[in-house]
Amino acid sequence: MNIELPPLVALLLFPGGLFLLSAGTVYEWADRKLVARFQNRIGPRWFQPVADVVKLLAKEEIVPDGVNPVLFHGLPVVALVGTLTAALYVPMAGIAPSYSFTGDLIVTLYLLSLMTLSMGLAGANTLDRFSLIGANRALTQLFSYEAPFLMALLGPAIAAGSWQISQVDAYAQGHWWLVLTQPVGFLVALVGLMGKLELPPFDSPEAETEIVAGPMTEYSGRGWALFRIGRDVELLVGLTLMAAFYLGGLANPIEFMLKTGGLLLVTAALQSLFCRLRIDQTVGMWWRIGILLALAQLFLLVFMR
Amino acid sequence: MDTQQEPRKTFVVPIGPQHPALKEPGHFEITVDGEIVTAATVRLGYVHRGIEKGVEQRNWAQAMYMLERICGICSHVHATAYALGVEALAGVQAPPRAQAIRVLVAELERVHSHLLWLGVAAHEGGFDTLFMYSWRDREMIMDVLEGLTGNRVNYSCNVLGGVKFDVDDTQADAIRRAVDFLEPRTHHYLKVVTTDETLIGRTRNVGKMTFLEAETLGTVGPTARASGVPRDIRVDSPYAAYPDFPVKTITATAGDLEAKFVVRIQELFESYRVIREILDKLPAGDLAVRVKPRVPPGETVSRVEAPRGELFYFLKSAGGPNPDRVKVRTPSLCNWGSVLATAPGHKLADVPMLIAGIDPCFSCNDRLVTVRRRSSAETWTWAKLRQYGIEYYR
Amino acid sequence: MRIGAMLGDISRSLFKRPVTERYPFERKAAPERLRGQLTFDPAKCTGCKICVRDCPANGIEIMVVDKVAKRFVMRFHTDRCTYCAQCVVSCNFDALGMSHEQWELAALSKEAFLVSFGREEDIQALLNQVTCKPGAAPVVPVAPATT
Repeated sequence: MNIELPPLVALLLFPGGLFLLSAGTVYEWADRKLVARFQNRIGPRWFQPVADVVKLLAKEEIVPDGVNPVLFHGLPVVALVGTLTAALYVPMAGIAPSYSFTGDLIVTLYLLSLMTLSMGLAGANTLDRFSLIGANRALTQLFSYEAPFLMALLGPAIAAGSWQISQVDAYAQGHWWLVLTQPVGFLVALVGLMGKLELPPFDSPEAETEIVAGPMTEYSGRGWALFRIGRDVELLVGLTLMAAFYLGGLANPIEFMLKTGGLLLVTAALQSLFCRLRIDQTVGMWWRIGILLALAQLFLLVFMR
Repeated sequence: MDTQQEPRKTFVVPIGPQHPALKEPGHFEITVDGEIVTAATVRLGYVHRGIEKGVEQRNWAQAMYMLERICGICSHVHATAYALGVEALAGVQAPPRAQAIRVLVAELERVHSHLLWLGVAAHEGGFDTLFMYSWRDREMIMDVLEGLTGNRVNYSCNVLGGVKFDVDDTQADAIRRAVDFLEPRTHHYLKVVTTDETLIGRTRNVGKMTFLEAETLGTVGPTARASGVPRDIRVDSPYAAYPDFPVKTITATAGDLEAKFVVRIQELFESYRVIREILDKLPAGDLAVRVKPRVPPGETVSRVEAPRGELFYFLKSAGGPNPDRVKVRTPSLCNWGSVLATAPGHKLADVPMLIAGIDPCFSCNDRLVTVRRRSSAETWTWAKLRQYGIEYYR
Repeated sequence: MRIGAMLGDISRSLFKRPVTERYPFERKAAPERLRGQLTFDPAKCTGCKICVRDCPANGIEIMVVDKVAKRFVMRFHTDRCTYCAQCVVSCNFDALGMSHEQWELAALSKEAFLVSFGREEDIQALLNQVTCKPGAAPVVPVAPATT
């Protein structure tokens, strides 16, 4: 859908800015509610993520000893900024991105990685052992899923013949759903998205029962709230990207809700099915299976063209 | 654990005293090199409440309730061990119906404890779904226990000389219904544990302990039985009604975490069988015999099989209304050595599952006193230690 | 080797009602044997004080108003009680029981945790004589001898 919104509105209100923040909380709620229903529980009420964020923003922020204060306070902001900026280039809410340019697929993917990078740096910044180990694992995981994920997203780009997300979106709207024609790529992309968002079973960097909260252990109050919001927005952006590429494009807000909602259902099911993978198992899986599948998909595409 | 080594730069990850992996406080210092564990030490004592001393100031009837609250999950076996010991000292035998009811509640407790452990171990491995489902099914047993005994934990089933309540037909039906519901679910969990790819990846060949190691480290309970050591007090020296309702010892040979899962789940099947058998053949009779308030002097040892292993009670009476000495040695205390011995070489991510694998009950095992004196070494008698304790608090 | 062995469970749960009890909006009836609040029948009490002796938590106090006429008042500390029912078993006269209906015993003040059982006039007589605050050790003067 192509709507002409004044740039400031598009940036701050809809479909960027405020819409992103609120939709992020809605998607976090939906994710937690679905996982709870899969586990035969009730799950949180609709305002739980909003209440969490409001409470955290109001709490005292404790700065541990020995950290670099600039990094400590700045990294959550960088993470959030990265994801908010990445949202400008995807067809958020089914509306064609107003800021898109050629090659913005690469930029978006790097902006999405900014979240993981800043979490890793945040963990390495402190003297806390749990954070150091968590940062170690976060960056290791980044190196393992990034390549297959990128390649899986390149599949639709090759099919559409463009590096611009809006054009891939337009291509997807006009052709067979790519989940049917590139199923392997879809699988790798979906699992890669779960790795990027550090959802179970890839939540080794912040394994609650092993390293408390990983890189986030020392964060409280505002910094923690910003990381959480960043993670919610990243969930939203990731789902939008996947739906736009593989599920036939996002033509209007209804399609946006249905397709991203359906993807969220599948993601929530995958979250509840598996035991947490150890970091060496994650790396082994990606570098043995993930990358081979992604490469196979790409070769298939190149030969079929 | 107290050697002087030259100061090396070691990276020590402290698990505990407060840590999401531990349900109760305990301090583990895991020395890691990257992700590989190179050494592990444990320090306990955070839940020491002075129960053994407190028991000396209460009379025999009151003491049972203190001892019952040493642990919430295995409270009944503590009370049973104590009651059996006191009955041995007093020279009375609880009637057969009472012994059978004691065994019934003990087996129900074993079911609830193993299901609890299944959930907790799954949670330590990040498998929250199995945690939620096993605890949901455990609620059936909790409801049955509440209907039978009056409380979900701390059943307060024993009195000195017997039990407090009877099992009538409605109760028996409720228990049978619960067991009938749980048996197919337990089969399902056995299948999940042995076939789910991700769970196997976390449990197979992790924490492998050979038969010899298990024997040497002195492990007890399902931890030892998973390595093939056939040690089960219910079979080796049956107590209460176990001579009439015998149990089979379940062992496995692999000795890894998966074997521990399998042994505990298969023990559930044995428990279901014994529960049904007791309900079918409950002997008639009284519920309790009278035990006088003053127990004749003597010493006795009473051992029972808690869900975690061998529970050992030493009771000493001086003929008065209060116990003279009660010494409790809980099974978790024997199993810590196996965690520390098997941890090096594994990844840090395996450590919470290794700790959970022995089914630790920290509240149970804070009975140990370590006195480190580098200057002199002397042996104290029990009387001298007790005098020291009394004067310390004066 | 199966991937996702619990798939059956989670897909069924999506269409089932959650198993959580929505307390306090839904309250299940407590089983009959639940050991809730203590109940005391003063008519059956003989003042032998075995319950006082056997309580592991020193939660029961029996105060004698008149031993010959069998008038007793029991002061019971709900906050000390461990709900073990030893007193119920120890009593040879069936004067004690544990209610299964009163088990929501949380309160916002300490006064609610000190319950007195007995005949009204006995309780009043004792309270007039007792010189202390509830919760502290009572100072009860010796009961006057009656004819």
